[in-house]
Amino acid sequence: MSQQLPVVEIRREPAPVNAAAGQPGRLPAGRRISLLGRRLGSVALYVFLTVMAVFALFPLYYVVQASFAGAQNLYTTDLHLFPAHFTLANYVTAFTQEPLLNWIGNTLLVCGLTALCGLICSTSGAYALARFRFAGRELTLRALLALQAFPGLLALTAYYLLLNTLHLLNNLLGLVLIYSAGAVVFCCWNTKTYLDGLPVELEQAALLDGATPLQAFWHIVLPLATPALAVAALFTFMTGWNEFALANLVLNANANGSNLTFILGLYSLQSDFRTPWGIFAAASVIVSLPLMLIFFFAQRYFRSGLAQGGLAN
Amino acid sequence: MPMLRVKRRTIVAFLLPMLAMMAVINLWPILYTLYLSTTNYSEFTSDNYRFIGLENYRQLLFSFDSDFFPVLWQTLLYVVVCVSCFLVVGMLTALALNNPRVKGLPFWRVVLLLPWAAPSGITALIWKFLFQYDFGPFNQIGRLLFGPQFGIPWLLNPTLAFISVVIVNVWLSYPFFTVVILGALQGIPGELREAARIDGAGPWQYFRHVTLPLVTPALVPATILSAITTFQMFNTVFLITQGGPVVSALKPGATEFVMIYMYNRILGATVANPHYGFIAAFAITLFVILAALTYLGSGLGARSPRASSIREARA
Repeated sequence: MSQQLPVVEIRREPAPVNAAAGQPGRLPAGRRISLLGRRLGSVALYVFLTVMAVFALFPLYYVVQASFAGAQNLYTTDLHLFPAHFTLANYVTAFTQEPLLNWIGNTLLVCGLTALCGLICSTSGAYALARFRFAGRELTLRALLALQAFPGLLALTAYYLLLNTLHLLNNLLGLVLIYSAGAVVFCCWNTKTYLDGLPVELEQAALLDGATPLQAFWHIVLPLATPALAVAALFTFMTGWNEFALANLVLNANANGSNLTFILGLYSLQSDFRTPWGIFAAASVIVSLPLMLIFFFAQRYFRSGLAQGGLAN
Repeated sequence: MPMLRVKRRTIVAFLLPMLAMMAVINLWPILYTLYLSTTNYSEFTSDNYRFIGLENYRQLLFSFDSDFFPVLWQTLLYVVVCVSCFLVVGMLTALALNNPRVKGLPFWRVVLLLPWAAPSGITALIWKFLFQYDFGPFNQIGRLLFGPQFGIPWLLNPTLAFISVVIVNVWLSYPFFTVVILGALQGIPGELREAARIDGAGPWQYFRHVTLPLVTPALVPATILSAITTFQMFNTVFLITQGGPVVSALKPGATEFVMIYMYNRILGATVANPHYGFIAAFAITLFVILAALTYLGSGLGARSPRASSIREARA
């Protein structure tokens, strides 16, 4: 298919000229073949796009329709692509009989606190790395890169013992602490890269005028760095959304499972002996929809944040 | 780059919150894991464990019944298969979306990038349902086409389970490559296409000698980062297969990749006596491999960890 796609483009201009001349029947043989190839290429292009669209959309479509379907549609060996009996029962059940609101609240709390902790702990450090010269600066930067390569999951046992000592096992704050490990490193690197691109003259002027470094940092640098901080917070936030392994290590479900994050909750719904697919589907839709909307609205912002550092370097 | 001159005190004060936090939650766990890897610490010996030197590493790397190399091998196979699929699917979709003849481009763009926006943990659980033997829609479609006895044991057969988690990972990750490649394609000046046409280059030659070399600089870091992320993939695969299916109690499951293997040896339901020391050695060995890959990768063009974090955010 990849061979056919460019054909479409390259023969694009000459062909209309001939058509305009009103002599389609007298086209040289090569031209006729290329016209045919062009049409075939067009068909292939749309076939490919349609196949990919089905591939991309099918899982999402299926779960949306399943969320509106009754059990008789889901526990059958026949295919149902539309809910035979449209019902909102799954949504009602998800809210009333499963602790869905608790799961969402817990997840928001954990991700929010992680983002906050990441920013608070890292911003002044990032500023120091970007602006001050001191022994061990290079070493710290290298260490940051090395730490970034260390997935928290590898230190599973150590984290478990650490939280045990701090009495934070089975506590959302314990999860925040573990997630902060990745968050601090990422936020620091992100902010530092952004600050590297900001001119230092403003702060120099402020220091000459008698401001303390803290004042310069607080009143000049922080307002300027807001976009970078926002992007770092959002990425940190989103990293926590889907994290399963560490959450599963820290949190043990209580009697009704209300202390879980939503990914653990959805997993427990699926491994439940009842496997309530309809409720699972409804809960998935409720949780995913706002996330996907946020993602699409924030996408532009992400990319502008991306271009400023990292890959663009 | 100009630097600010400040007192040593100030520098320490600015760095302190970050370094203190990192010492507790980043550095200590790593050092403790390193220490554990030289002990015989396990659930049963937690009161009287002792230093045993490099014995865990010897067992991991040089003993015949070690699972290390089979697990590493199937993880690397997974990485190679997945990343090749990402590249091919990402390239094809990007070429299609870059074609000005396609009508309704914004529509196709949104649709084809939609898997990127969906929260991956949830979509993994959705895919698990799609693969389900009796009620999953894939087998339902098969039954519709090939009769009632049709059935593909997607997650029950080792090879098919491997293929299933590849499919899911391709679904999750190709949009990232589409975006990267599309960005590079849009940076190619139109005159090049015209010049190539005048010089008589065919479409394949144009792709091979113009498009590909111009897209490669963007592709190399994306590929390396993606390979590293796939190597340490846990969530998606675990949520779908838990590392299974397990054919024999002595062998790791067909989709038990390095992270899942480690996790199952500590938290697995069938593990009575997790051998923390041994698993720590496993973790440290993995870290060395990952650090080497990252180092090589950063030499090849990925300069900051930012892009890997973006992938992690989606992973």
